[in-house]
Amino acid sequence: MLRLCFLLPLLATALSSCTPKSKVAREKHPLPAGVDTSKHEIGRQGGVFIDSTPGEPSTFNPLVSEDATSSGFIGLFLDSLVHNNPVTQEVEPGLATRWEIAADNKTFTFHLRPGVCWSDGHPFTADDVVFTFQAIYDPRFPNRAAFDLSVDGKKFTIEKIDDLTVRLTTPEIYAPFLETVGGVGLLPKHELESAFRDGSLLKAWNVSIAQKEPRRLLATGPFRLRSYQPAERIVFEANPHFWRADTQGVRLPYVDYLVTKLVKDANASTLAFATGQTDAEGLSPDNVAWIDQYATRYGFSVFNRGPSPNTGFIWFNQNPGKDASGKPFVPPHKLAWFTDRRFRQAISHGIDREGLVRGVLFGRGQPLWGPETPANKKWYNPNVTQYPFNPARSMELLTQSGFSLGPDQKLRDRLGNIVEFTLNTNQENQLRANMATAFKENMRDLGITVNLSFLDFGTLVGKIQDSYDYEAGMLGLTGGGDPAGGISVFSSKGRLHQWHPNQKIPATPWEARIDQLMSDQLHTLDYPTRKKYFDEVQKIMSDETPYIYLVTANAYVGLKDRWKNIRIPPLGSLVWNLDELWTPLITP
Amino acid sequence: MAADIVRALLRRPAGLISACLLILLYGAALFAPFLSPSIPSAQNLQRTYHPPTALIWQNGRLCVQRYKLVDPSTASYQPLPDEAIPLQWFSKGVSYKFLGLIPADRHLFTIPTSDPIYLLGSDATGRDVFTRLLYGAGISLSIGLIGVALTSFLGLTIGGLAGYLGGWPDTLAMRLTEFLMAVPGLYLLLALRAALSSRFPSDATFLLIVVILSALGWAGTARVVRGLVLSLRERPFILAANILGQRPWTILFRHLLPNTFSYLIVAATLSVPGYILGEAALSFLGLGIQEPASSWGLMLGQAQDIKIFMLNFWWLLTPGLAIILTVIAFNLLGDALRDAVDPKFRLPGR
Amino acid sequence: MTLFILRRLLALLPMLFAVTLLVFALMSLAPGDFLTPVKAQRDINPALIAELQKSFGLDRPWYEQYALWLGNVLHLDFGYSWTYKVPVAQLIAQRAPATLLLSLTSLLLAWTLAIPLAVLAAARPGGWIDRITSAAAYFALAIPEFFLALLAVWMAARTGWFPIGGLTSLDHDFLSPSSQLLDIAYHLILPTLVLGLGGVAGTLRVLRANVLDVLQAEYVTAARAKGLPEKVVLFRHVLRNALNPLLSTIGYAFAGLLSGSLLVENVMNYPGLGRLVYEAFIREDQFVVLGSVVVGCSLLIIGNLLSDLALAWSDPRVRYGR
Repeated sequence: MLRLCFLLPLLATALSSCTPKSKVAREKHPLPAGVDTSKHEIGRQGGVFIDSTPGEPSTFNPLVSEDATSSGFIGLFLDSLVHNNPVTQEVEPGLATRWEIAADNKTFTFHLRPGVCWSDGHPFTADDVVFTFQAIYDPRFPNRAAFDLSVDGKKFTIEKIDDLTVRLTTPEIYAPFLETVGGVGLLPKHELESAFRDGSLLKAWNVSIAQKEPRRLLATGPFRLRSYQPAERIVFEANPHFWRADTQGVRLPYVDYLVTKLVKDANASTLAFATGQTDAEGLSPDNVAWIDQYATRYGFSVFNRGPSPNTGFIWFNQNPGKDASGKPFVPPHKLAWFTDRRFRQAISHGIDREGLVRGVLFGRGQPLWGPETPANKKWYNPNVTQYPFNPARSMELLTQSGFSLGPDQKLRDRLGNIVEFTLNTNQENQLRANMATAFKENMRDLGITVNLSFLDFGTLVGKIQDSYDYEAGMLGLTGGGDPAGGISVFSSKGRLHQWHPNQKIPATPWEARIDQLMSDQLHTLDYPTRKKYFDEVQKIMSDETPYIYLVTANAYVGLKDRWKNIRIPPLGSLVWNLDELWTPLITP
Repeated sequence: MAADIVRALLRRPAGLISACLLILLYGAALFAPFLSPSIPSAQNLQRTYHPPTALIWQNGRLCVQRYKLVDPSTASYQPLPDEAIPLQWFSKGVSYKFLGLIPADRHLFTIPTSDPIYLLGSDATGRDVFTRLLYGAGISLSIGLIGVALTSFLGLTIGGLAGYLGGWPDTLAMRLTEFLMAVPGLYLLLALRAALSSRFPSDATFLLIVVILSALGWAGTARVVRGLVLSLRERPFILAANILGQRPWTILFRHLLPNTFSYLIVAATLSVPGYILGEAALSFLGLGIQEPASSWGLMLGQAQDIKIFMLNFWWLLTPGLAIILTVIAFNLLGDALRDAVDPKFRLPGR
Repeated sequence: MTLFILRRLLALLPMLFAVTLLVFALMSLAPGDFLTPVKAQRDINPALIAELQKSFGLDRPWYEQYALWLGNVLHLDFGYSWTYKVPVAQLIAQRAPATLLLSLTSLLLAWTLAIPLAVLAAARPGGWIDRITSAAAYFALAIPEFFLALLAVWMAARTGWFPIGGLTSLDHDFLSPSSQLLDIAYHLILPTLVLGLGGVAGTLRVLRANVLDVLQAEYVTAARAKGLPEKVVLFRHVLRNALNPLLSTIGYAFAGLLSGSLLVENVMNYPGLGRLVYEAFIREDQFVVLGSVVVGCSLLIIGNLLSDLALAWSDPRVRYGR
């Protein structure tokens, strides 16, 4: 056995050194007329970039994709008219080189990049763009883009001007138009038209096709699918028809292969990186603590992306409604506490956010006071009301609202009811569980009894969205991006307006004001005006504290040092410019 | 008969040691509030992932070493030289309710300052692992006992009735057990758990797990009891009772079932580990006991995090050791009991 | 004989019906459904949710959904996975080989290790082999499988001696066939050890007791009296007879082939059926769950049948029939 132990590492190195050392031969195709030239440092072709992802893509069809994992893979091979650059948060040319906005602010004319081909050599034209929108709007194929690409239920109209020009018209002024169109991966008409005709479009490009005929997943993006083995890995290779090149005319991407290991969970993914198996990994704050130890051994560095766009918050159910049997969702005396702004502010002052950051996040995070985190540079409002940890201030606010602390160290309202509530959260998230237990301890110091209830995600969502029979909840949302994405949260009609969803008319003046602001910001294209409106939304949210925001963790990226030309965005994918990435050391 | 078993057990050292160990463990679970210096929910966010505090002998007294946090980003602590606090025995501390009824505030040991004592280190929110282990023992260990009691009761009643009555009740019961045994256990476990979880509040998950595990477990017992009753039914003393005109219920409960007890005791002892491991597996998958309660499985599930291994927080794995010890003890005791009751007696393999 | 097998196989049908009905009913009782995570996203339109519900049939009562599924099954259509948009049968067929491979290697490990050890241990009860093996068996049966798997993963991570998860290396496609085999074998070592350990201990305990029993039989005494060497007595006469009762465990082993490694697969990141099924349960991807229940349940019943047949074949005293 002892000998075997020595043999095994040898065997391992023998196996890993079998990677093809010879340069991978690529198909040679002329660069398109409209080639986009990268302005970054010049690199060298070759190399394999390896990363890992928890979970499994469920599809490669953008009309079906509902999860971030699938969408991430689709984004590698399907390109869109424009790109949202997460580093600059600006809209950049993609498959369209330029566009004009008419004076009515509703008509957009896109000029497509000339000479671009699909990965099978078939030219990319306006027909593909029109086909994509037809497919999206077809009622036979319910999909998410159809709803993203409409205003008040009305669709956009699309027309082909010529082979390289399309015109899109929105029924009303629609602020996030370019950002939304930027997310739409364009589909190849010549490949998918038959599936469109016979109604099987949603079954096209499923995981089974990806395994058997990966080449049929045509690409306009930097990569095309080479192979997919479920629960093992996905291999992408450089798309020989990609439309970008460096200043010397070498076609991008530089890397030959992009390999993604499919692992069970974030833990396994981090482990793969820490043991040198992968090139890049998103790291949570608690793992940064130990991963540094392996940095020199495996030659990687850890980059701080700053605050993540994820928010965590606690809220109270302020729904005054009754269930079918006439029983109120929340007992009236508790509803009186929950709808009292001072009560919510007192709770907020009673939470030791610094302690949470220090203890649970190893000091790698910051307190959060509003709905956006600093990660969303374009929209974040730093001037919101803050509620630093201050139990004395909490007691002051509570006393003003008629609460008093009894000799038994229990808080009572003016009618003598003991203040006690149940906090519901989902059980799958360990970090959240730690925050919930810490919150319980903080509240005990104010004389408030918090009972914790950890539920399945399904049960929790059912309570919040359907049955409303709960007192308080704790969840997180991923923020970031355009304010338009937050309408269902901020607007009182919204489904995710969790403290009191689906209101017919706003229950409070401040909710009415938010409704107005959210609607106003949607119907202008002027950024400073939109920013002013959304800043006010954030301010109101922090003043009224329907959500008591907790903390936001910093996000980290670990990257092997052998990679050059790295642009790490504050949000979204680990590396923004995969096509420009190169390494002087070809073999891993 | 019980005396015979005890005497036979005394002659087997392995069985005896296991019995003692189990008594010790259950005792510890029962007296957890008294034995532990803290309460399981008490957090200390300044002292997360604290290593076990050393106990040192100083000036003729047992003292607790003090530590300082050197690097919060890796949770590394260093002992403060020459700073130790003497332990106080049987002192007043956090108040609790002994056995859930009697209010008390005495603890076996505490220290006079506000420094924490972490005999087995602290977890992600600075809770005392030793305390949580003791309180968790209550849940993990009683799940085994209650589950087995429930299974034995169900198995005994259903199997006994089926064997004694025969006819359609027998057929029905046997089809039911075959059905239960034909479902892949883990799948049914997952389905049951999903279906029932919303009907139990999360602090009653304990009950839920017992119910699920017993609902799946009684079939085997019932089949064996039925077999035993079938063979006993033909024995002379039962025939005699029949002739004497005793009522069927009396025969079943006074004569037949008591004769299966020795089997049941052995089978029950040997099946306790199944429940303990079952709870651990469920909790490990995040489907078992929920925070803020503690159980060994839950604690072990929370220790899945790789940082725990990479930063050498080994004390968070102690629940695993506790599970292993308990299961070994039950298996040894069960084997010893079986040898004592009937050396030729063979249970169906697990 | 054929009639007996046919009858047993026919009995499979009502069983499958009952089991799938039960599992389906339980799953519908569970709060939430496949679309719950979709509902919780902040920028999704309620109208889309309604449309998806309709297209999945989730707007109908559960018994109607079940009846529809059952109707399709009669045409050998097991439905398709909502997550992957791929037929369930195809999905299971794709993942099953990896799981089957792991189960077989661990079963092989259990038998090849347990059989000689059990005979040697029983040959001298109380001897040092007996003591060590039985102590090891107690320990192996007490350590939770998932905990062992966890420790194995960590050990692999720390030492780098073994790959962490997966069944093939990244460069698997570029290797020669023989290296490909080696590669797979290398990835199988840890999961096999973890999954097989419990099997070794269990088999060892049963077999040791059997061997002890058989050793007291008269023909063994006779064989010894004939002056046969102890080795021949043990491995030819005793072992052959002691193995008989073990045949009845084939059923269990067979049943566990595809479902026994769920926990280990999940902890060790092994690309098999267990991960698929567990994810399907968590996501409530109904048809995948039902499909796997059908497979698991059929294997269990067929396994029981096989062990009955094996027992009858090896021991003429056991007769067919109820």
